[in-house]
Amino acid sequence: MSEMTITDTSTSGSSSVKRVPASLRMLPFLVALASPLILDNISWNPFAGWKIVVGFILLIGVGKFAWSTAERDPDDPRLALKLWHRPDQRALTAMTCLALVAVPFVLGTDFDPPMDFPWASWFRIVNYIILFALGAGAFNLLAGYTGQLSMAHAAFLMIGTMVGAHVGLIWGQSFWLCLPIAAVAGAALGALFGIPALRLRGLYLMLATIGVHFIVLLGWKEYLVHYFGFGGVRFNPPNLPSWLHWVPGINPEDGEFLINTQFRWFWVNLTITTICLLFLVNVIRSREGRAFAAVRDRDISATLLGINVARSKLVAFALSSAMVSVSGCLLSYYNRARSEDSFNLEQVLDYGIIIVVGGFMGIQGAIFGSVFFFALPMYFEWMREELPFISDIDFFSRYAGEVDLAIRGILVVVVLVWRPDGLAGLWQSAKNRVLRQFQNSQTGAAQ
Amino acid sequence: MEILASTFFDFGINVQLVVSGLALGAIYAVVALGFVLVEKSTAVLNLAVGEFLMLGSYFGVAFFMERQTNFFVGTIVITAVMALFGLVIHYGIMRPMVGQGFFAIVLATIGIATVIRAVVQMRFGPLEKGNLTALPTGTIEVAGTNIRWVDIIVLLVVAASVAGFLAFYSLTRTGLHMRAVASNIEAAAGVGIDPDRAYALTWAMAIGIAGLGGVMLGHFTPSVNPALAAIGLRAFPAAAIGGFTSVGGSIIGGLIVGVIEQLAGGHLGTKWREPVAFGILFLVLIFKPTGLFGQKDLERV
Repeated sequence: MSEMTITDTSTSGSSSVKRVPASLRMLPFLVALASPLILDNISWNPFAGWKIVVGFILLIGVGKFAWSTAERDPDDPRLALKLWHRPDQRALTAMTCLALVAVPFVLGTDFDPPMDFPWASWFRIVNYIILFALGAGAFNLLAGYTGQLSMAHAAFLMIGTMVGAHVGLIWGQSFWLCLPIAAVAGAALGALFGIPALRLRGLYLMLATIGVHFIVLLGWKEYLVHYFGFGGVRFNPPNLPSWLHWVPGINPEDGEFLINTQFRWFWVNLTITTICLLFLVNVIRSREGRAFAAVRDRDISATLLGINVARSKLVAFALSSAMVSVSGCLLSYYNRARSEDSFNLEQVLDYGIIIVVGGFMGIQGAIFGSVFFFALPMYFEWMREELPFISDIDFFSRYAGEVDLAIRGILVVVVLVWRPDGLAGLWQSAKNRVLRQFQNSQTGAAQ
Repeated sequence: MEILASTFFDFGINVQLVVSGLALGAIYAVVALGFVLVEKSTAVLNLAVGEFLMLGSYFGVAFFMERQTNFFVGTIVITAVMALFGLVIHYGIMRPMVGQGFFAIVLATIGIATVIRAVVQMRFGPLEKGNLTALPTGTIEVAGTNIRWVDIIVLLVVAASVAGFLAFYSLTRTGLHMRAVASNIEAAAGVGIDPDRAYALTWAMAIGIAGLGGVMLGHFTPSVNPALAAIGLRAFPAAAIGGFTSVGGSIIGGLIVGVIEQLAGGHLGTKWREPVAFGILFLVLIFKPTGLFGQKDLERV
């Protein structure tokens, strides 16, 4: 693949300049994203014989293709501003795209791993990981990037749920209309509840937002009892709008296509989460995002740089709250049932654990953190039930939930004491080490 | 929400609410005291205060309910064990984490809280236990209203131990060292005070006091259950009214929050208790961030 049509404009004797046409640069990602079409048409059990080999070849090929089509120009500063410009970034992104679109097909097979390792139940876990990554990413924008510790996170999950319930069930509108309305309502209320941040900082802001949490919690309980009674609210599965029925893979029955299986939810969750997280990543890379970081580091020096600190704080609150209430609306529709005690302060702390264990300062950390948070209990459950020696210990099966809780607590403390930059930091340093060895071996081969 | 005009000005009911509010407030004061002590001297926001309190209550179950220990012996042993636990937390977790960010340390305390909750449920099971009955249970009639003996004893025990602590903190040499480290660690180290020892003592005392509060709470509540840990959040409004840095102020703040909460719960309905308590927190932080007794020279804006 390295003999592709790459226009090498070696200007001024510098051989490190490489230009690639835009269509070719996009191609590996399009191949990765289009693979569901192929996957949907053949019965894709990757563990059946030769197909696992084909899958790996496809994965490596897409990665290598993306790597070889990276542009290189030390004199062009605009290149460094692009989201994925280095070869390793491009390769990893393309491979992640392919792996992500393959996940539902691979999990949808009736593959039965040895030792009763759970297979189909991972679907639920994957969906939760995606949804919590969105909420944790938004939380990280506020707490990590802008340095405004807010405990009103669950309050915005409630606001998103209330908007979803009111627009979707009481007004009878489409689910797809709930999401933008939830975003707008979240942004407006976020800017309102962000006003204490103009006066308070750190611990004091955190405690004031605990007050916000309990006030919204009272509103949520009153709302629920008033409109839905004490039994809580049940959401209907959303219906895909008919103008999207042309999309391959969508086979509407009786003219409607309900999002009611884990497989269909996966695509909805993945699309919305990807759009929102890419939006946040781009905000962070913009002037607004750099202003957030300046406010976090020192708000007085941010003022001297010409940053309107009050505006930055309110924009951060509004953005984060909008994303959180979108994720609250999605989570409620995905969960289907919400009751009075669905939202508590511990949920905020769960998100806190996700971002600190994952890595405090990046969207990447939110993703790593939610994988940690949801995948680990699943592994523990399996180990407890199936692994020899461990399954014999009566204590573990008797106190299953408590053991999970204790292990999670211990792991949080261990990660914090041992690796303060979280799993994302661990991943970065591991990646850098591999890359350095790779480059060393390449230069060694050239000499 | 309906305000019952008939009970709103009823003297007897109000006295009853105020007395039980004072007893509840005394427990809040103990929680807030442990919280403010740690926050002031080691700059750690301890979100596990509620779990320490719950642990104290369950120790009470183990001693008084299962072993029928004498009340005084049991209380002293529980306080001592909890103080030792505080030392373990200081040397095992907090000291290696010095220099890390504010939020990371907060989450470490949440990790501790998770482990405590899990261990308590493993040992005692998820079902709730009845309340502790090592104290006399009857009521006494004062000015035409029935007041529980437990309320009065809880108030007195807490008052006595808090007075003892404040005397230690402000009169003895070790207490002086602790205050010096809390107010300026570099200057204290410069004149030869060992900050590490002062921190360790602070943790031990804060958690020992939380254990004592847990024993009292176990007598006060209708049942001992894992949900008792939620009471730890009440340390925040109490500490905010007291001004976060004032150890004495947190006690008065705790009493105020307890009384207001009982009055709101009694007159407006129990679902108003939390919003009222945290609404106070919100308003105090917005309009008077230094609280009633806080230092004004701290950088806050």
